[in-house]
Amino acid sequence: MADLITLLITGISEGAHIFLMASSLSVILGLMKVVNFAHGTLFLWGAYAFQMIFNGISGQVNNTLAWLISLLGAIVAGFILGIIFEKVFIARVYGNIGAQILITIGLQIVFTELVRVFWGARVIAVARPEFLQGVSNFSGVIIVHYRIFLIAVGILVAIAGHFILTGTRAGMIIRAGVQNSEMVGALGININRYFTLVFAVGAALAGLGGALFAPIGGTVSPEIGNSSQLLAFIVVIIGGMGNFMGSALGSLFLGVMMALIGWTIPDLALIAPVTLMALVLIFRPQGLFGLAVKH
Amino acid sequence: MGNITSRFPNLITIPKLLWLLAGIVILIIPPISTTATITMVSRIMIFAVYAMAYDILRGYIGIIHLGFALFIGGGTYFVAILFANVGISIPILLLAIVGTTIYSIIWALIVGKIAAKSGLLATAMITMAFAEIMRNMMERWRTVTNGLDGLTFRVPAPFDNRTFMYYACFVFLLLMAFALYKFTTSPTGRVWQAVRENEQRAVFLGYDTNRARTIALLVSGVVAGLAGVMFALLNRFANTDVLAMQMTYNAMLYSLVGGSGSLFGSIIGSAVVVLFQNFLLDLRGVHFIFERWLIFFGSLYILVVIFMPKGIMGFVETIRERWKHKKGGKIYES
Repeated sequence: MADLITLLITGISEGAHIFLMASSLSVILGLMKVVNFAHGTLFLWGAYAFQMIFNGISGQVNNTLAWLISLLGAIVAGFILGIIFEKVFIARVYGNIGAQILITIGLQIVFTELVRVFWGARVIAVARPEFLQGVSNFSGVIIVHYRIFLIAVGILVAIAGHFILTGTRAGMIIRAGVQNSEMVGALGININRYFTLVFAVGAALAGLGGALFAPIGGTVSPEIGNSSQLLAFIVVIIGGMGNFMGSALGSLFLGVMMALIGWTIPDLALIAPVTLMALVLIFRPQGLFGLAVKH
Repeated sequence: MGNITSRFPNLITIPKLLWLLAGIVILIIPPISTTATITMVSRIMIFAVYAMAYDILRGYIGIIHLGFALFIGGGTYFVAILFANVGISIPILLLAIVGTTIYSIIWALIVGKIAAKSGLLATAMITMAFAEIMRNMMERWRTVTNGLDGLTFRVPAPFDNRTFMYYACFVFLLLMAFALYKFTTSPTGRVWQAVRENEQRAVFLGYDTNRARTIALLVSGVVAGLAGVMFALLNRFANTDVLAMQMTYNAMLYSLVGGSGSLFGSIIGSAVVVLFQNFLLDLRGVHFIFERWLIFFGSLYILVVIFMPKGIMGFVETIRERWKHKKGGKIYES
């Protein structure tokens, strides 16, 4: 029983970290119809921006402060890269899915390789902030503080995202754009500006995801971008493309499922989520939770 | 003027002459080149077939197959597993070819069923999922496939001869190019293009678009699977890289550089990209920035999409149009 609870906490926190990527990927896919294969690269740059700042200043200033500055750095790095990606590259290929896939694959290759140029191909160690380093043990249930913190961040982002999407004018326009972006444009709203905004905020979330992910394993390497991206794509399919809350449920489901399978049948840890994605696409193309927009 | 070109306008044209010239160059390469060059050109010819098969889907019927590595990887693994575990002989090779064909047909039928129901995006995603499942299975099935480290195996005579293999690749390329060309110009091939332009309209005109799509998937899948068989015979090695996403990306790049929807453009595309890749790899000794040659390779994707969306064939077409206009204008003036 204690093991099970420990596993659940691990699974939910994994879900929270997938959610940071998947939610933005889903809204980008739903709103802009852009298949962004460079999303994992934004995640990677977030992680590297974080480690560079954190490893650089953590000796000089208060550890918690240094950590907060580093997180902010990762968000800013993701945001700026997101604007560049959208304005310079992706805006040229709206409406052409094949071209989008190719151009974002190109961005993925180039910017992953740039990470190797700037920081080397080796693995770099990243520590957790001091106040989150602890581990508690409640009669066999092992609670890693950092994982609880991840869950809290995931819940916070889910609530904030839900509030923004349902309670504000910008959110309303974005939701309308997911349904029919041409119609929104015809109503005199500059939908392209929202495209850039959504993409940049999504990129910032991916960057934050990278920064929060790095200290779990304790290291960053240029390969972490793509493996996280595949999980995010799976969540987008499970949750329904363009569905924010669907991606939250999907992340939770996937995280817990992977933790349980990884514990019981580790050989299937990677095959199971991809198989699940295939089954969902075949039998429930609108997403597992039936809330999504059809494409 | 009564010369032969004006009486038979379509018999001899500049493009045809260029293709013929390329064919002759390919024929005389082996006696005058190193083994490395022979192997590289053989690889280009196999990739050309692989890229043409991809172009049937992307350029003709308009499916985005993000798991296309399934086919070339499947063919490669059929040969590798049989040769490494059962025996090395021509009958075993034939068995591998039959196995690859059946395997490719099964995948094509599955994807055809799904593509008929779901949209472009969902099809792209699910094919990506299929390829990832296959890659993972091959990586896990370590006792037989040796995982990421891969299988090394010998091939039966006469395929162990580099020069023979080279000509075999050339014949393979000619046969497949001819077969695919026949398909694209057949009535079914016309329906493919109608589906790409507007599927709804094609349905209203009474065409069975699902059938046309399944045929396209079958044709391109089997051809790409056979390219995998040749790939295994050439490399005598198979690891999970042949099933990786990068393998699919390569097919996309080759056919895009050549010109999407221009079947033979894929041949030019794969030659240009493989030569460019080799050129970058050679530059590694020149300056340390080329150690990271993938930056330039990745830039190729971006630059081609932005500046040459119709590829080399499209570019040539534009220039020819312009030239025709100029010539026409002059006649009009005089």
